[in-house]
Amino acid sequence: MNSETSRRSLRKALLAMLAAAAGAALLLLTLVLPAEYGVDPLGTGEAFGLLGLSEQPPAAVTPQAATFAVDVVRFELASFESVEYKYRLPAGASLQFGWEASGATVFDLHAEPDGAAEGFAESFSSGKADADYGTYIAPFPGIHGWFFENRSPLPITLTLTTAGFYRTATEFRDGWEMPRQLPPVSETLVP
Amino acid sequence: MQLSHRHLYCCATLGVLSLLSAGVFAHNISESNARFVEALSGPAVVAFGYLGAKHMITGFDHLLFLLGVVFFLSRPRDVVVFVSLFTLGHSITLLLGVFAEWQVNAYLVDAVIGLSVVYKAFENIGGFDRAGRFHLDARFAVFAFGLFHGLGLATKLQGLTLTSEGLITNMLSFNVGVELGQIIALAVILLILLRWRVSARFEQQAFAANTVLMTCGFLFAGYQLAGYYVAIQ
Repeated sequence: MNSETSRRSLRKALLAMLAAAAGAALLLLTLVLPAEYGVDPLGTGEAFGLLGLSEQPPAAVTPQAATFAVDVVRFELASFESVEYKYRLPAGASLQFGWEASGATVFDLHAEPDGAAEGFAESFSSGKADADYGTYIAPFPGIHGWFFENRSPLPITLTLTTAGFYRTATEFRDGWEMPRQLPPVSETLVP
Repeated sequence: MQLSHRHLYCCATLGVLSLLSAGVFAHNISESNARFVEALSGPAVVAFGYLGAKHMITGFDHLLFLLGVVFFLSRPRDVVVFVSLFTLGHSITLLLGVFAEWQVNAYLVDAVIGLSVVYKAFENIGGFDRAGRFHLDARFAVFAFGLFHGLGLATKLQGLTLTSEGLITNMLSFNVGVELGQIIALAVILLILLRWRVSARFEQQAFAANTVLMTCGFLFAGYQLAGYYVAIQ
């Protein structure tokens, strides 16, 4: 092999390596980094919907700065009367809840993110029932809670019990807003 | 069967796609496997042998490197020599690494392994010296990269908190499993290469295939380096 052909083949090989490195960098930046690590330098992960692939499952333990509060409220709902009751929660804060009503009640568990447009709400669970129990974990900071409506001809009594990392709740009824302070459990339940 | 251009592109695309999807678990012993192995105490020859073989067959970085190594080796003797050097290299560091409890960062080792694929493919297309494909340097390089591949295997094996009871037996079983997996993988690779080499377009396609191999190597190295960077954040 003379030196001219070997120089040409070396140049060809170097070009191939450059192309390979460029191709790998492109795949890495557009697909692999967003999909594997949620790192999205070019915004392609967002555009192709790849970012969810690297999301970690929620942690088993989410620490909070202070202890939780408990709240028990009772609502008397006349026929076709409704009420909204919401807690202020930071993102990731949990809420244990249980409510029971004397008759089937229309409910909607939803949240309004801080900074969202007026009237915007994300609904998580809705339907018609006379009881519901569960754990809610706030996906974003904002106010989180229930809309209850009695669509029966008879009055309904509904009792909502919760425990969670909140300090305030607000009741919305007939155009009124009634804020409530909810002290930490150490001040209310511990003797 | 002649391998046409279309076949080559299919293979290349499949290769890249499987590398991407395998990236998630390539090189990590799956969680259920890990739980099982960690619950074991005492020697478990077949379980560790199986894990070693599975690790080799599902570890795309090892397979790509092997493909690069045997790509132009047509004489059976050369195949045996090169693969033995690779095996010797990775056995040494696998056994030493586990035994001496070397703590090496898995991301960095895997990045070097990715670059070993680039090196071998670059050598295949004459990046170093077309005439020097079979001289001692190539053999030394395969042995040296074998050491790194073994280091990678050792870090993975140490990731399982192994009991000292039966450690040597289990480690050797894992290594034997790795070699068996390598033989199975090599058989498939050589079978495809033998068919491919008789094709008239082999020389031309070989250049493209090794460029794809380099791309995969860079991609794997980049993936591991990014993982290292994310982990130390």
